[in-house]
Amino acid sequence: MSRAIRTTVLAVLGLIWLLPVYLLLINASKAPETFTSTESWKPTDFSLFGNIGEAMRLSGLAESVASTLLYAVVSPAIAVLVGAAAGFAIVALKLRHGFAWFVLIFGGTVFPIQMILLPMFDAYSRMSLFDTRFGMIIVYTAISIPFSAFVMRNFFTGIAHSVFEAAVLDGASTWRIFLRVYLPMASSALVAIFILQATFIWNDFLLGLVLSQSDDVRPIVTSLAGMQSTYGGAQMSTVLAGGLLVSLPTVILFLFTQKFFARGLALGQ
Amino acid sequence: MTDKTPTAKTPGQRYRWSARGFIAPGVFLVAVLLYLPLLWTTFLSFTDYNGLGDPEWIGIENYVEMFDDPQFIGSVLNTLLWVGGTLLVPVGIGLGVALLTWNLKGGVWLRLPFLIPYALSGIGVAVIWSFILGSNGALDQALAAFGIADTPRWLVDSPLNTVVMILATSWQAVGVNALLFTIGLQSIPKEPLEAAKLDGATGFRLFRSILWPMLRPLTVVVIGLSIVASLKTFDIVQGMTKGGPGRSSETLALTMYRETFVNSEYGLGSAIAVFLTIVTLAAAILYLRQQLSSKNEG
Amino acid sequence: MRSRRITLGVAAAVAASLVLAACGSGGGDDDGAKTGTLDFYTNKAAWEPDFDELNATSKTGVNIDLNTTGYSDAAQYDAFIRQSFRTDKSPGLFTWQTGPSLGELVDEGLIAETTDIWTKAVNEGWISEDLRNTYTFGGKQYCVPMNIAYWVMYYNKNIFAEQKIEVPATWDDLNAAADKLKGAGITPYYQTSTLFTFPWFQQMVAGTDPALYKGLATGEVKYTDPRIVSVMETWRDQQEKGWFSDAGSTVDPAVGLKQGDYAMINFGSFFNGSLDGAGMVSGEDYGMFVIPATNPGLAKTPVAVESGPLCVAENSSQKTLGMAYSEWWMSPDAQTAWSKARGDVAFNPKATVNDPMLKELGTTIAGGAYETYDRYYETTPTPILTVALEQFGAFIANPGDPLPFLEAIQAEADKYWADQE
Repeated sequence: MSRAIRTTVLAVLGLIWLLPVYLLLINASKAPETFTSTESWKPTDFSLFGNIGEAMRLSGLAESVASTLLYAVVSPAIAVLVGAAAGFAIVALKLRHGFAWFVLIFGGTVFPIQMILLPMFDAYSRMSLFDTRFGMIIVYTAISIPFSAFVMRNFFTGIAHSVFEAAVLDGASTWRIFLRVYLPMASSALVAIFILQATFIWNDFLLGLVLSQSDDVRPIVTSLAGMQSTYGGAQMSTVLAGGLLVSLPTVILFLFTQKFFARGLALGQ
Repeated sequence: MTDKTPTAKTPGQRYRWSARGFIAPGVFLVAVLLYLPLLWTTFLSFTDYNGLGDPEWIGIENYVEMFDDPQFIGSVLNTLLWVGGTLLVPVGIGLGVALLTWNLKGGVWLRLPFLIPYALSGIGVAVIWSFILGSNGALDQALAAFGIADTPRWLVDSPLNTVVMILATSWQAVGVNALLFTIGLQSIPKEPLEAAKLDGATGFRLFRSILWPMLRPLTVVVIGLSIVASLKTFDIVQGMTKGGPGRSSETLALTMYRETFVNSEYGLGSAIAVFLTIVTLAAAILYLRQQLSSKNEG
Repeated sequence: MRSRRITLGVAAAVAASLVLAACGSGGGDDDGAKTGTLDFYTNKAAWEPDFDELNATSKTGVNIDLNTTGYSDAAQYDAFIRQSFRTDKSPGLFTWQTGPSLGELVDEGLIAETTDIWTKAVNEGWISEDLRNTYTFGGKQYCVPMNIAYWVMYYNKNIFAEQKIEVPATWDDLNAAADKLKGAGITPYYQTSTLFTFPWFQQMVAGTDPALYKGLATGEVKYTDPRIVSVMETWRDQQEKGWFSDAGSTVDPAVGLKQGDYAMINFGSFFNGSLDGAGMVSGEDYGMFVIPATNPGLAKTPVAVESGPLCVAENSSQKTLGMAYSEWWMSPDAQTAWSKARGDVAFNPKATVNDPMLKELGTTIAGGAYETYDRYYETTPTPILTVALEQFGAFIANPGDPLPFLEAIQAEADKYWADQE
C-alpha cells in the first residue's frame, strides 16, 4: 500500500478513535449547573478548570499524587527487571522445566484480582503492611511481574542463541551478559512494559481500596472514585474533569516515550 | 549467583544455578503475594463462610450449587462471547494499526490516538461510554442527526449489550495490542526482510511469508493476554450494566462478585473463582504449549 | 526429588494459609482513650467532605475528630468490614445498614451495645421511639443513626406549573397528573433497570397495605400472593401507558429531572444535594411531596424511611473513643451541624434544619397523619434482595406477565427461609 493510503486510513481511524475523547473533553468542560445530556456533541461553555478544582476539593486527591507517582515508577521498574531476569533464565540460560516455571509465573495473572483481596488484607494487617507505602509497592510489583515475564520471555526468543554463546566465548559472566547484552537489546520492550504497567498502576483502584486507608498512602484513582455515588457527591462533569486530570500524567508519559518505538532495532549486532 | 566451572554440559545444566538465581525473585514474589492468597480462596471454596466467624467445611457442595444455577450457563456463554469478541476486534485492529504505522513517516504520531484511551483512567472510560451508549445518549443523538431515529436499546437488549461493551473495551485495548505488535515488528532482523524485498515480495505476500512468522513471539503474547483478560472481564460490565438488566450481561467474574461481595457467600464465590482460574489456566497452557512447542524450550 | 520439593512447598503454603485461618479472632485491646482522632470507615464515600466539615464542631464538642476513609463500592465495603473484625483493624466507628445485615453482626457479638446512649437520647426527646425499634435486637440497642432520609416524590416545579398540575393529595390525583403529563408528551416518572429498581414496587405494596409489605420481609407473605401480583399488574399497566422513563437511559437522575426527561422522581431526601449541584433551586425549580397511599382507606399514609447506622466494633482498640463520639452524635448540636453539612432532614427534632423544604417535610411526617416504614433495601434479607433487584430490573427492561419474575424471587425466598429453620 502506498504511504498516502496508509496515512489516510490511519488518520480516519484515528479520528474515530478520538471521538469519545472529544466527548470526554467537552463534557468535562461544561458547568454542572447548566449541564444537559441532550446536546452531547456541542461545546456549550468552558468551566474545565472550575470542575477540576471541585474534583480536587471533593476527592482530596492532591494528597495522593506523590505516593501514586512513587508506586507507578518504582513498582513497574522492579517488575520489568525481575520479569526480564525470568525471561533470560528461561530462554538464554535454558532453565530446566522452563515452561513449567514460566506457567507458574504467568499463572499469577489468570485469576480475577477480586478473589485474593480479602486474604491479602488479612495478611497485610497481620504483618503491619496494611496502609504502608512499602506494602503497596510490593503488591504492585508482584502483580506486574507476570505480564513483564511473559513479554520478555517471548521477546528474548526472538534473539538468536548465538548472541549468548558469543558473549560466553568473550568470557562474560551471565550477570554481565544479562545487563550488557540482553537488556540493551530489549530497550523498546522494556520501555513498553514499563509504561503499560505504570499506567495500570496509576489507574489502579481495587488494591488501593482494600490495602490502604490514609490519604497519603491511598492511590489517586481510589480517592477519585469516592466522589461519585448515588448518595450525592459530584456531578458528572466534575467526575469527568477529575478523570481527565488523573489521566493527564499517563497521556504525557505515552507522548514522551513514543520515540522509543520510532526506530527498529538492529537485533543480533 | 556464580557460574559453575564450564564443562561439556548442555546449557541447561551448565547454568543451572545461575538460571535459578535469575528466575527466583519473580517466582518468589508471585508465589507469596498472589498464590498464597489464592490457596486460601481454594480452601474457602469447600466451606460455608459468610465472612464472620469461622468457615465450615462442606465438601463440594458449593460446586454442585454452582452448576445447578441456570444463570451459570448464561455467564459462561457471555464470557465466551467476550473471549471471541476481544480476539476478533482489538487484536485484529491492533495488528492492522501496527502494520500500517510500521516504517511509516509520522507513524508514531498516527499511532497515538489509539494509545490515548489506554492512558485514560477506568472511571472516565466507564462514564463516557455509558454516556455514549445510553438511550438518547451521544450515539443515538449522532444517529438521529443522520436521520436514524429507531435505534436499539444498546445497554438493555441482550446480547446486544454484551456486544457493545466488547466494542467499548476494544476502543481501549487496540493501542496496547498495536504497541506490542510494533515491538514485534521492530525486533525483526533486517537481513531476511531485505532479501525478501529484493525477491519482490510486497504487501500481503511479504506479510505472509516474512512478517507473520517473525511476529509470532509477540502474537503469542497478544493473543495469550487477550484470552486471559477477556475470561476475567469485570470492570467495564460492572461500570456500565452491573450485569443487568436482570442478569443478562453477567460474566463469570461478575457472578463471582455477586456471590462473594453482594451476597457474602464466600464459599460459593470462591468456587466460581476456582472454576474460572482452572478454565483460564487450562486455556493458557493449551494455547501456549501448542504455540511454543516448536521452540527450543528447556 | 524435584516433585517432592514441590509437594513440600505446596504443603507449607497450605499450612501457612491454614494458620492464617486459625488465628481467627482478631481485634485489639481497647486503649481507653476518650479524646483524639477516631478512624472512621464509610460506604458513603461521597459524604467524606461533609464528615470533614463536621470535625470543627466535634473538636469543640467532645475533642474528637474523624479520620474518614470512604469506600465507593458498597459490596466491597461490606466485605472489607466483615474481614476487619478478624484483624487488629476492627473499626472504632463505621457505617452499616439496618435490618438483617446489622442483625447478623449483632448475633456474632461484634457490635458494641448502645442501650445507655439510646435511653438518654429518648429521655431527652432527641429521638423517636419508632426509630429505636429499628436499632433494637433482642431488647438491646446497637449503633446510633448516622442519618435518616424519607423516600418521597421530587417533581419539576416548572413542568407542573406549565401543565397546571397541583401537588397530588390522593393516589387518584397522582394518576390523573401522570395521565395529563403523558398526554402533553412528558414522561411522568423516572426509573432505572439497575440497582435502584425497587422503590416503585415498595411504594405501591406499602401503600396498599403496610402489613402486606412487612409480611414480605418476614417471609409470611409470598411474592406470588395474589395481592402482590395485582400490584405488579398495576405497575405493568403504568409501564404500558408509557409513564416511565427509558430503562436504558444513563443520564444522571438529577440532570434528567432538570432537563425535563421526566417530571417526577421517587428518591430519598438526600437527593436535594444532587439537585442543588445540578443547578436547580430548592422550592423554586423543584419541590417534593409525600406520595399518597395507593389504598385511600388507610388511616395513615405510609412513608419509606432509610436510616444508616454508625456502629462501634466490640473488639476495636478505639471502642471507648467510638462510643464517646456516638453519644455526642445524638445531641442537637451535632445533628444541627450534620444537617447543615449534609443538607438533609435530621432525626433529632431539636436540631435545626436550614433548608425550609426539608424542615417542613420533617414536621409534616412527624405529625399524626403519617407512619414510617423501613425501606425495602434494608428490610429484605440480602440473598432475596439480590434476586429481587435483578428481577425488577428485568421487568422494567421488558415489562410483561409479572408472574415469572415473582416466581423467581419467591424461589430464592423459599430457599432462604428454609435455611433459617
